[in-house]
Amino acid sequence: MIKQFIEDIKKYSKYIKYSTKAGLKAEIAGSYLNWLWLFVEPICFMFIYIFVAVVVFKSNIEYFPIFVFIGLTVWNLFSKTLVSSVKLVIANRDTVTKIYVPKFVLLLTRMCINSVKFFISFSLVIICMIIYQVPISLNVLYFFPIFIILFIITFGISSLFMHFGVFIKDLSNITTIALRLLFYASGVFFAIDTRVPAPYNELLIKLNPIASIIYEFRNVLLYQSSINFSLMGIWLIIGLFLSYVGIKTIYKYENTYVKVMK
Amino acid sequence: MTEKNKIAITVRNLDIYYKEIKRFSVAKSGFKNLTSAKNFHAIKNVSFEIPKGQIVGICGKNGSGKSTILRAIAGIFSPDNGIIDLHGNTVSLLSIGVGFQKKLSGYENIFLSGLLLGYSEKQILDRIDEIIEFSELGDFIYKPVSTYSSGMYSKLAFSITAILETDIILIDEVLSVGDIRFKQKSYNKMKELISDENRTVIIVSHSSKTLKTLCDRVLWLDDGVLKGDGKAEEIVKKYEAYMNSLD
Repeated sequence: MIKQFIEDIKKYSKYIKYSTKAGLKAEIAGSYLNWLWLFVEPICFMFIYIFVAVVVFKSNIEYFPIFVFIGLTVWNLFSKTLVSSVKLVIANRDTVTKIYVPKFVLLLTRMCINSVKFFISFSLVIICMIIYQVPISLNVLYFFPIFIILFIITFGISSLFMHFGVFIKDLSNITTIALRLLFYASGVFFAIDTRVPAPYNELLIKLNPIASIIYEFRNVLLYQSSINFSLMGIWLIIGLFLSYVGIKTIYKYENTYVKVMK
Repeated sequence: MTEKNKIAITVRNLDIYYKEIKRFSVAKSGFKNLTSAKNFHAIKNVSFEIPKGQIVGICGKNGSGKSTILRAIAGIFSPDNGIIDLHGNTVSLLSIGVGFQKKLSGYENIFLSGLLLGYSEKQILDRIDEIIEFSELGDFIYKPVSTYSSGMYSKLAFSITAILETDIILIDEVLSVGDIRFKQKSYNKMKELISDENRTVIIVSHSSKTLKTLCDRVLWLDDGVLKGDGKAEEIVKKYEAYMNSLD
């Protein structure tokens, strides 16, 4: 199965690349600002959060706007992918009822689109870090391994949601509610370790992959610290395991999807 | 070439079920529906072999499994029993409204379809002008597919599959595309495609004329059972007689 997966990735890599580009284009097609829109949107959001952070919350966390923006960027990659994965097969019904395409290719395309937005957002984080003169260390290089773990975890969970989304009509409603809960448990707007009383703060960070990942991103980017290797290692293994199960399930059942979606 | 190499499609003891696990809602029914899945037997133990270069028609009344069998051969869904072997040939399914991403332009959709059919970007670039010209869409090719009329949509779909040729072409009722002139043009293109003796074609059609003039051989499906298989003239005659007797 892993062999087939790698072969399919090779075979469809061009398609993934092209349809990522096309997908990004489709999202901004018809708007006046065109490609600029991809930057304008996160910039606007950033100003909103800076306003909320500085004026409303008067938070005493250092670099609070960047702190929030890192959290939101990570959160957006995860939640947008998960929400769209539930309806992904149906959204592509025109394609999948006419030609065979490994269904995980659809998910990878979606993830590539969201990853591009993720990096655009992060380039703004970097600009902010320069403006705020955040001191950095070599630990910022851990950014890349953490991103890979985030990608794998998101892929693993989303692949399973994509599969069940074909069969369960209201999975998207359930997902939306569950994500809302997870949002507040991920510490996007606050520091879990200082705001939540012990021992729950540590549990919350360790049991929720998104909270762990946001926490580590902030550590390496804002506080010059290293990462928690065992925690990240465990999430990597869990992510790989979920991806394996997801890909296997999709391969096994993907040819029944078209029969169900009538 | 040995005799075996000449076979393009082998279908043996094919069974396809539509399981009635419709999409269900947790709120409405809980989880019990999954177990009470009813099966609809769409294709019943069908076997046939198609030699390379043959043009085969499939006829049968509505709901007899014609489109199902085409989709199975195209690899869109897997057989529940039996095997389908394409002997390594590439295949494309041509039906009314091939899968397009509606927000994207026709131009981009040509690329996406081409890449999915297994062509490289360069091969598509080489042929793209020909596709655009054949489709007669003109400047509309750069507009989103969502702005197309149904005729333009089908014309583009037809042009892509007709110009980006695959070894096996599966055609689902497509000869009724566009206006009279485009119909004539696509009919001629179809004949041209078919005349390539290396190309294997399966056509699903209700039109006796199409079946008789284009096909060497006709398969007659009735409620998922292969009821007839033989020379076009002969089978179409039997099929017509049968359909008339139903009235």
